[in-house]
Amino acid sequence: MKKMVLIAQKDIAIQLKDRKAFLLLLLMPFLLTAILGFALKGVMEGESLPATVIGVYMEEDPLAREFVENYLQQDLTMLTVKVAATDVELKDWVNQDEVDVGIILPKEWGEQKTPAAILAVSGKESSALFTQQLTDSFAQTAWTMSNSTEKIMTNLAVAASYQDPAIQPGKVQAELLNGMKEVVERKGQYVEVASIGEREVSSMQYYAAAMAAMFLLFNAVRGGKSLHQEQHSATLDRLRMTPTRVDFILGGKFLGTWGLAFGQFIVFMAATHFFLGVDWGESAVQTLFIGLVYSFAVSGLAILIAAFSANEKTADTAGGIMVQVLALLGGSMLPLSAFPEVMRKVALVLPNSWALNSFTSIMNGATWASLGAAALVLLAIGAASIVIGSARMRVSALSGGK
Amino acid sequence: MLTMTNVKKRFGEQEVVKGITLHVGKGEAFGLLGPNGAGKSTTISMICGLVPYDEGDIQVDGLSVSRSPYEIKKKIGVVPQDIALYPTLSALDNLVFWGKMYGLKGREAKARALEVLETVGLVERGKDRIETFSGGMKRRINIGAALLHRPELLIMDEPTVGIDPQSRHHILETVKRLNEQGMTIIYTSHYMEEVEFLCKRIAIMDHGQVIATGSTQELCKRLAGGNQLLLDVEEVRPAFVEKLKQLDGVEKVMIPEASEIHLYIKQDQDMMASIVSMAAKEAVKLRQIKLKEADLETLFLQMTGRSLRD
Repeated sequence: MKKMVLIAQKDIAIQLKDRKAFLLLLLMPFLLTAILGFALKGVMEGESLPATVIGVYMEEDPLAREFVENYLQQDLTMLTVKVAATDVELKDWVNQDEVDVGIILPKEWGEQKTPAAILAVSGKESSALFTQQLTDSFAQTAWTMSNSTEKIMTNLAVAASYQDPAIQPGKVQAELLNGMKEVVERKGQYVEVASIGEREVSSMQYYAAAMAAMFLLFNAVRGGKSLHQEQHSATLDRLRMTPTRVDFILGGKFLGTWGLAFGQFIVFMAATHFFLGVDWGESAVQTLFIGLVYSFAVSGLAILIAAFSANEKTADTAGGIMVQVLALLGGSMLPLSAFPEVMRKVALVLPNSWALNSFTSIMNGATWASLGAAALVLLAIGAASIVIGSARMRVSALSGGK
Repeated sequence: MLTMTNVKKRFGEQEVVKGITLHVGKGEAFGLLGPNGAGKSTTISMICGLVPYDEGDIQVDGLSVSRSPYEIKKKIGVVPQDIALYPTLSALDNLVFWGKMYGLKGREAKARALEVLETVGLVERGKDRIETFSGGMKRRINIGAALLHRPELLIMDEPTVGIDPQSRHHILETVKRLNEQGMTIIYTSHYMEEVEFLCKRIAIMDHGQVIATGSTQELCKRLAGGNQLLLDVEEVRPAFVEKLKQLDGVEKVMIPEASEIHLYIKQDQDMMASIVSMAAKEAVKLRQIKLKEADLETLFLQMTGRSLRD
């Protein structure tokens, strides 16, 4: 056991002196998380409708004032309203792209005598259409209410002329006006956007987990190559010439890869948390636990890669391809939700997919019990890889390898 | 110290070691010679426990390699032909690591690593990375890594390949000193002068077998036509060459160049005077005549049909 630790320490010391490996294993996933997290923020967080800035110029008109002050300027997250002093100022804002769209509400707009004008430059058609529908909707509601009130009041006035004391036109008029005001001001409260699940995972969170799952896989390639390097440089033979069991040498190589992978995960987790503000969930212990068992699986794969590749170059090439394919199928490049059902089933056998799902579950507030299956699968993948890989190496050593 | 009894090794259908029997005494410096493919490396790998043998037995200090591999590995230090070191680690870190792999504890390993650096003459470079070293310096650390646990038997497989004369001299002196201190050495090399300098006894291997064992002198005595007379003439005349061939004691005549004649002669034959007078009679201008005594190179060539560096 002591010699296993010695070999692992030596491997870690060698790796820490390798700047190229440092760039690949730490800087790359960090940068990719930052780039993908920012780039896909809108797509992943339901912000495909951009926030619209509306510029308004209104002449003296009670309905226009109601529209701007009580309707547009209420707490709508997708809308920002700027009121211009003159129509010229508004046109300047539109031309200089200070607002997405402009509305001119002329005098007597409320009396349906003059139409409102929507101003937008080319490329802002969707914002213009959105604003037009918003304005039309308000105006039609207001006019409908106004016309209804007028009709009701006319009929009431006729009824009052028969001197029925139960009919009080003044009171009815006041109630109708209040009702109309309430309807107008409650705009936007009927429909709410809701996310499924306990908590929504942001794009930055998702890609931090995805990049961790992907880049930890590179340790399998590095670990596999490291065994070939030892073989190529005769240090493996020299290790075997020392009074050390072959199993312990292999165990030391495994332990070194495990330590490096887990170390990489801890550094990556800390860096993304402190520099990119990634929230890895409420339980850091859960995240570290999954990181640890995933690193175990990855280290097992390193033994498997070493056992089934002829040399360092093959391990590098085949391992590199394996990482890319696993990353793609396991959801590290695109979320699995974008994949067809068959592909999602394929992902169930991939260690990186289990790790990624576990990380995002923890971000969503997973329980320990819900992580059990993932932990068992990852441990099983690691153990199976070690058994198969070391058996294969033993066979190849006995059948003529020196 | 080392006894090999009828050791055989087969890789698939090919028998690469065909029943080797050898004995190397305690404190002895023993040379193992053989052309590439003779089975030297496999033999060394079997002694070190890297490759299991199929038949026979190898004993180191009375212990069987197949039954007590770990005890034996503690007694053996191996200097592999390749530089088996970690290039990005310092010389000291490398030595400390290998020392610990042989069971030395922390402080002891460091102290011993410093001693070894002293032995191989590289104390001042201890903290430098191996990758910054010259070939000769790497070879010296490669040897040092095998000395950390004070082995009783040091096996050196071509330890001076591709290095400068100064480093080679340093290495040979170090090995000689270690042997004088009582360490048993098994040394393989393509350089005959190294083997002759270090080893009192040698074994010549070819095609997986030991074809001769003994001291250099003993082996050279077995040579037929071991000595050579090298004649430098102005012109090689066929009549003169024919007469040389008929001389008593001449085994073979060769003409490697237009002005050179090589005579392979039996040892203890003095025929210089006869040749000089024959040249005068045949009007051959003899510019120089030189005797080259039988050496390991000649012996090796004669026994294996190949030069040692082939």
